[in-house]
Order: sequence, then structure tokens, then C-alpha cells
Amino acid sequence: MPDYKGIQGTAVQNFAADPPAPVTGQVWYNSTTGQFKYQDTIPAGAWATGGSLNTARSQLAGAGTQTAALAFGGNDGSVTAVNESYNGTTWTELGDLNTARRGLAGTGTNTAALAFGGTTTIPAGPGMTGVNESWNGTTWTELGDLNTARQLLKNAGTNTAALAFGGETAAIIVGNTETWNGTSWTEVNDLTTVRTNLGGCGATNTAALAFGGQIPAGPTTTAATESWNGTSWTELNDLNTAREALAGAGINTAALAFGGLTTVNVANTETWNGTSWTEVNDLNLARKAMGSAGTNTSALGFGGGPPTQNATEEWNAPYSATETITLTT
Amino acid sequence: MTKTYQYCVAENWGKGFIDHNESSRITFKGLPGDVWQVPAYNKHANLWIQKVLGTPKTRAEAQAIVDGVITQAQATWDADNVANESAEQKVDRIGERPVLITLEE
Repeated sequence: MPDYKGIQGTAVQNFAADPPAPVTGQVWYNSTTGQFKYQDTIPAGAWATGGSLNTARSQLAGAGTQTAALAFGGNDGSVTAVNESYNGTTWTELGDLNTARRGLAGTGTNTAALAFGGTTTIPAGPGMTGVNESWNGTTWTELGDLNTARQLLKNAGTNTAALAFGGETAAIIVGNTETWNGTSWTEVNDLTTVRTNLGGCGATNTAALAFGGQIPAGPTTTAATESWNGTSWTELNDLNTAREALAGAGINTAALAFGGLTTVNVANTETWNGTSWTEVNDLNLARKAMGSAGTNTSALGFGGGPPTQNATEEWNAPYSATETITLTT
Repeated sequence: MTKTYQYCVAENWGKGFIDHNESSRITFKGLPGDVWQVPAYNKHANLWIQKVLGTPKTRAEAQAIVDGVITQAQATWDADNVANESAEQKVDRIGERPVLITLEE
């Protein structure tokens, strides 16, 4: 029978501590703990804690990836313009938004982001805004406003080709969809299910996904999912758990929906394969109104509440894990 | 009665506090006051409590901590009023009034 050396070409190495960056399949002996260990890749996803935001807040927006993200605006007891950048380990404060606001949307990367909509006041009504700012990695610059000032809308795309959809004005919940070409916003076809405080994602302004939220009747939560093809929205299969104030990451064929509010804050996480949603491992902290970034295999959730939180969680599917080999005689 | 959960107090220090493997093997429930609910009689949960230097609490002790934090938050919420503000506006401004949570055995 071939032994480990025969298969791998090396003997099992002896370490005083686990190696810092083992590769999948690597086997070693930890002489301190007296254990054989190996590095495995676990296909099912899971959430791990990440570095905490410097400013705990909810109703904030996010952009970027799991290891290069941006968190801006929000509600920390008052409306804030705070802007922080994440490097995969810690959050660092950068230049503030020009217009402090909460319930805004954001898209792009952590060096080229777009922040649009929201409300500048508490309570929300008087401060509904269509203000739109572009981030270049150093400062925010005001550009053309949304046509419909509103809060609790969602987003897709980049800072030169973005999509804004859903939300609520001071008067009503809307299904308005607007597309951004780097210069101005243009009204296009509305969502089929008018809603606010929804989840959304998408890498471009021609392919996006809208899911969950609050609909006017009741009002109540919805599980409805719609996909945007650049021209119109099409209804697809619902979320397993109807909720509002949920977060989203990914693209319209591979998305992640997490957290939110049913009648209580929930930790539910669902993954979308382009056809249906599947329940996967929950967040460690149930919460709503958090910021998000990343993809459905490598996502980031941060902030939220209540109570207002600074916690960050990192989703990876698959993820790499060190396992202990149990020897029996 | 056999208990289903155990409780500890541990401050979330961020990266590494809960790793992916722990999250997939243990059902965590983060509660006010840095209280964490994890499964009882669970090897992985016990190892995690050791790792984070969690202070074990009985259900009653954990309940008292959670109640204390929420009761204080309710008092703060009740005292935070703005002239001529409607109930709906208050919820929009500072969120729903915190509700007490009953911990499971």
C-alpha cells in the first residue's frame, strides 16, 4: 500500500505550531499538541467574524469586495457621513461623504464607488435626497442627482454604469428604476413588485437582481425575486424567507441574501444559483439594515442593528479549514 | 431536564473570534451584553469557549445580563423623545423599542 511519502513525494513534516498557510491536502504533525492535522476545503459556506467597523451604525451602504470594501453613510444615532475602507482585516477611516445620509445605496469598488439617494434627516421624510457622489479612492465628488429622491433603494453596477431600483419617497413606496451612465440618471422600466428596504445586487447596470423588501399592502414583507436584463424586470422564484432590510451580494445569476427583518431580526442566509434560493449557514449575529460587499462565494456583511452594531462577518463558500486527524488502534 | 444550550460572556474582538469552521459546526446566537448562546454538550462549542476565554454562565445568569442590558436600553428609548414627534417618527429615528428576550434552557 502506498504511504503518504509515496503519494506526496515528501514525508509528513513535524511542526511546533500549525504552518501559517497550509495548502489543501497538506498533512503535518503538531509536536506541541501531539496531533496529526491536515488542511481541507469545505464546500458548504460559513460566516466568520471580521474586523469591526470604527463607527457602529445601521442603514449604511457598501461597495467593493470582501478584502477591499468601502462602508459609507448610515445611522449611528444621527445621520452620518463617515466612510471607512476594509483591507480584509481592519477598517480605516477615509474622507467623509459630502452629504451625510442614511438609507442610501452604493456600488462599485473601494477605489471607484458611487453613493446615491438616502435621507439626510431623522425622521426620514423631510430629507429624502437624490444626491449622487463618486469616490475616487481619496475624495467624494458630487455628480448628477437621481431623478427620484428616495431612501431604502438598492443598487447594482459600477460607478460609471450603475442601476438604482425600488425604495420610498416621502409619500410612497416606489418601483422606480434608474440607470446611470457616468453622467446622468435615466428612468427606465419599474420593478414589477413595488417595494422598499429590499435586497439587491449585480455587477452591471444591465444585469441585476432584486429580492425581498417591504410592499405597500399591509405593509408587509415580500419574498419576491426579480431579474433585470437591461430593459425590464422578470419575476423569478421567491426567497425561502420573506423579509425586509436584508443585505445582498453577488450578481444576478449567483447571489447571496442575508440577515433582515421578518417580525424579528434574522440571521438567515440564502444562496441564489440563477434559478432558486437555497438556505445555507446563518450569520452568527442576527441583524437588519447592514452594509454589504462581495460575491455569493466571498461576501462581507457589516454594521446593522438594532442595537446599532459594528460587527463584520465574512462569508466564504468553500472555505479552507485545518482538521485534526483522530487516530484509532 | 437536559439542557440544549450553554451560555458564556465573551467580547467579539473581530477577526478570528469565530472562524468559518466554528461557524459551520456550532449554531451561534449573539445576545446583548456580549452573551453568546452555543449548544450544550458539544465538543466544538466547548473548544470555542476556551479559545475566546469565555466566562461560562448559567442560563439564569445569562438571562440576568441580557435583561439588564435590554432594560437599560428600554429606559433610554423611553426617555428619548422629541417634541411633536409621532410614534412612527420615533421608530424611524431610533428604531423599535427593544424587547426582552427569553433564553432557552
